[in-house]
Amino acid sequence: MSDRPEIVFRARGLTRTYRSAAGDVQALRGVDFTAAQGDFIVILGPSGSGKSTFLNIVGGLDAASSGDLWFKDHHLTALDERGLTLYRRDHVGFVFQFYNLVPSLTARENVALVTEIARNPMTPEAALAIVGLTDRADHFPAQMSGGEQQRVAIARAIAKNPEVLLCDEPTGALDSATGVRVLEALVEVNRRIGATTLVITHNAAIQEIADRVLRFADGRIVAERVNASRKAPAEVSW
Amino acid sequence: MPPLRRKVLRDLVRLWPQALAIALVLAAGVATMILGNGAFASLSDTRTRYYESYRFADVFADVTRAPLALLDDVRAIDGVLAAEARVVQLALLDLPSLQEPGAMLLVSLPENGAAGLNRLHLRQGRLADPGSSREVVLSEGFATAHGLRPGMTLALVLNGQRRELTVAGIALSPEFIYALGPGEMMPDPRRYGIGWLPRQALAAAYELDGAFSNLVVKLTPSASVDWVIEQVDRLTVPYGGTGATARADQTSHAFLDAELKQLGTMVKVLPPIFLLVAAMLVNMTLSRLVTLEREQIGLLKAIGYSSRAIAQHYVEFVLAIAVVGIAMGAVAGQWMGAELAHIYAQFFAFPFLVFSRDLGLFFLAALVTAGAAVSGALLSVRSVLLLAPAVAMTPPAPADYRSQGGSLWRKLGLRQTSVMTLRHLLHRPWRTLSGVLGMAMSVAILVASLWSFASIDRMIDISFFRAEQQDVQMVFGQPEPPRAAFAARAMPGVMAAEPFRAVAATISHRNVSRRVTVFGRPAMPQLSRVLDRDLRPMDMPEAGLILSEALAQGLGVRQGDTVTVAFLDGSRRTVNLPVSGLSVGYVGLGASMELGALHRATGGAEAISGVNLLIDENQAPAFFHAAAAAPETGFLSVMALTVAQFRATLAENITVMITVFVGLAGVIAVGVIYNFARISLSEQGREMASLRVLGFSKGEVAAILFLELAVIVVLAQPLGWLLGYAMARAMVAAFSSDLYRVPFIIGPGVHATASLVTCAAAVLSALAVRQRINRLDLIEVLKTRE
Repeated sequence: MSDRPEIVFRARGLTRTYRSAAGDVQALRGVDFTAAQGDFIVILGPSGSGKSTFLNIVGGLDAASSGDLWFKDHHLTALDERGLTLYRRDHVGFVFQFYNLVPSLTARENVALVTEIARNPMTPEAALAIVGLTDRADHFPAQMSGGEQQRVAIARAIAKNPEVLLCDEPTGALDSATGVRVLEALVEVNRRIGATTLVITHNAAIQEIADRVLRFADGRIVAERVNASRKAPAEVSW
Repeated sequence: MPPLRRKVLRDLVRLWPQALAIALVLAAGVATMILGNGAFASLSDTRTRYYESYRFADVFADVTRAPLALLDDVRAIDGVLAAEARVVQLALLDLPSLQEPGAMLLVSLPENGAAGLNRLHLRQGRLADPGSSREVVLSEGFATAHGLRPGMTLALVLNGQRRELTVAGIALSPEFIYALGPGEMMPDPRRYGIGWLPRQALAAAYELDGAFSNLVVKLTPSASVDWVIEQVDRLTVPYGGTGATARADQTSHAFLDAELKQLGTMVKVLPPIFLLVAAMLVNMTLSRLVTLEREQIGLLKAIGYSSRAIAQHYVEFVLAIAVVGIAMGAVAGQWMGAELAHIYAQFFAFPFLVFSRDLGLFFLAALVTAGAAVSGALLSVRSVLLLAPAVAMTPPAPADYRSQGGSLWRKLGLRQTSVMTLRHLLHRPWRTLSGVLGMAMSVAILVASLWSFASIDRMIDISFFRAEQQDVQMVFGQPEPPRAAFAARAMPGVMAAEPFRAVAATISHRNVSRRVTVFGRPAMPQLSRVLDRDLRPMDMPEAGLILSEALAQGLGVRQGDTVTVAFLDGSRRTVNLPVSGLSVGYVGLGASMELGALHRATGGAEAISGVNLLIDENQAPAFFHAAAAAPETGFLSVMALTVAQFRATLAENITVMITVFVGLAGVIAVGVIYNFARISLSEQGREMASLRVLGFSKGEVAAILFLELAVIVVLAQPLGWLLGYAMARAMVAAFSSDLYRVPFIIGPGVHATASLVTCAAAVLSALAVRQRINRLDLIEVLKTRE
């Protein structure tokens, strides 16, 4: 890694307008944003502030109404459905609030689901080792606790060695102690594979573990803070 | 409207494609029930009413020539209600439009008009003037085939004399609903018709003044048919009687009976299949609906709705689907029934057709269908009743897949998406089984209908190409001395001639007996042959009989057994003969022996009934010209025309049949696959959307569902073939009568076609669901818990 980490994301004037019967809803009103490789960014903001919309656009799940978004040299806002699918497949790891594991597959198999289609994956076992679930590899989701399921989801997200890890409320469904373990896993992954990590949360306590904190309100980034020093997940609680 | 009922309507609107697919399967069940039972009732009611109104006789007897005075003796037999002495003779048609001369069966008109038996139903014109010798009433089929109308003329050769007759009227008769020429397999109204002439004129033409050649008898309701036949035979033997037959053996009646029997089988087989499949579909769909609405059910219970009210809500939902299905099925059944009646009216000569709109049948169909649908719903509804409100309102425990094969799949080296599919199928074994069974039914219906193609080809091949090698069979009007064969051989264009003799006989073994025609053939027949089981032509044994397998089976005899043969010709001899061999044959009951042996057995004069001929194609016109002029010619059966007529008639019926069956099988296949796919998508939609987020393409995600459907479809094929095979077997058994035996042949093409049709239906259903996969909401799935 050089002294000046590579810029991974560049966004200029991103907007997103949803049309509905009740009138247009402006979810994003012009967001400028950059992120460098290995950045661990926490995004805070109230419901409806546009943070999830922003994450979905960054993750290639949604398309901006206007503005430009670049991932390295990929012009994401110019890609079609197919191009976005490939972008997600090759570069992005997702962790969701409700884990979204396949109930009919074991932990190992849920991870293998992704490694089978990725270009440069680690083994499912290696991914599970990173999140500390080696001994649970052959368990089905129904046999695991919520925290364990979320760590499987993280293993699944990182197994492709993604350049970007996007997490939407990864601890939202978990109690504090379990949440800490999940955050530890995220930090560990961020450190080990150097993926640029964006974590959305309602939980302000989590901001302490980030390099940078973005605060969304009313479809815009209203505040940005760089943490001089990051706390370890174990040091925060809520 | 109570809110729950409103919910039923909204659910129906929301789930309309699935509801429609189920309704269609139910509709198919209702339609086949109404159509089949309706057509069966229509055909049998029509026949009954026709027979009654037109006084169709119960017993029929032919004699060579009997004095009219004999009629009084017949009328005096206990149980005889009415008897009529008729003149019935075969005449050759002299129509320039027919290269191969056809024939007309001339029947004397009932003397005493309305009181007569086998009365005519006039369609056009009037009956012939009793005093006229130049008027004829024609059967409608024949008149239509030749465009003949009252007032037009028709030339016939009566007893060797050409005569021009004027058409007085056109009519139908209960005796000739199915008008079959001698030795023919299918009615050919172009070459064979019925002509009714005044008795006097006909008797004069055939030198039968004061005499008759045919007797028809109507019995009292309590009469014993067998006893009367015995008495009639006793009276007619001295006059060349060939044995009276009961109505059951009368050709037209017997063919109608065979048709009714086939229809009866269809009625029993088809509707239950549809109702079973529909019940399974209802069960599948409703189970899923109840699972999805688990929390709503809990809420309803919590706010005070009784379990009964909630169960009733789901039953209403199913009943609403059933009502739609019943309505569609009733309309389709009525419509198809009318179409079928139309086909019958064309094929069988009925003056009217009773197609009763039987309300009872409709209600029964509705009741059975609603019952099937509700029984399909019962299990799911039961689970509603058992749910405690507090339990229902919490999300269901995650599905436990522990028992669905852990390491096995990995060892097989399957991709994870395939593992997902297989575990999902195994997780719901009953549903998977229902899907497989439903799909198999679709395949089975096709196999059970398509097999008849190969069977008919086989029938034609064996009957017309392997066994019967002659080009023309000339049946004499009267038995002729053996030299008549030489006269026929001398006709222009004849390359080979082979005499045959046909004698009516009763063959019995122990207490079973059958009325058959015993054919006498040369020792080594070259033209009209019988075949052994390996389809090799058989030589005629010196003394014994060769029986067709059907006859041997009917009598319960094997090769080497001895049977008693009572000849019904003038000799009336009864002899015991060994069964020397068994032959294959699909039409009628066959018995053959060597010509000389037959002469010895009957003990009468050596006579032949006709000749089988090989004709030089180039001289065919000259031959037919000569044959038409020969006084002994009674009827010419032209093989090529018989085969063509056979194929044409079947082709017409089969096209209709295949269309109907492919449609019905398609309804099942679409119903099963579409519902299965929708349910599967509903269960796995969330996972599929997650996979899309993870970078799986639309195609890759759709492939997961398609693999699941493919497993169902593939598993269903062998099961469907097996079920179809069993159904076809049962149909063969049900269709077989003394008139026809259907060879049971299922070619590989049948399986392939059945599978292709059902797969095509499955692919269409899958594509319909694919749209939904493409529209999966990727963002929604991340935001909500299942």
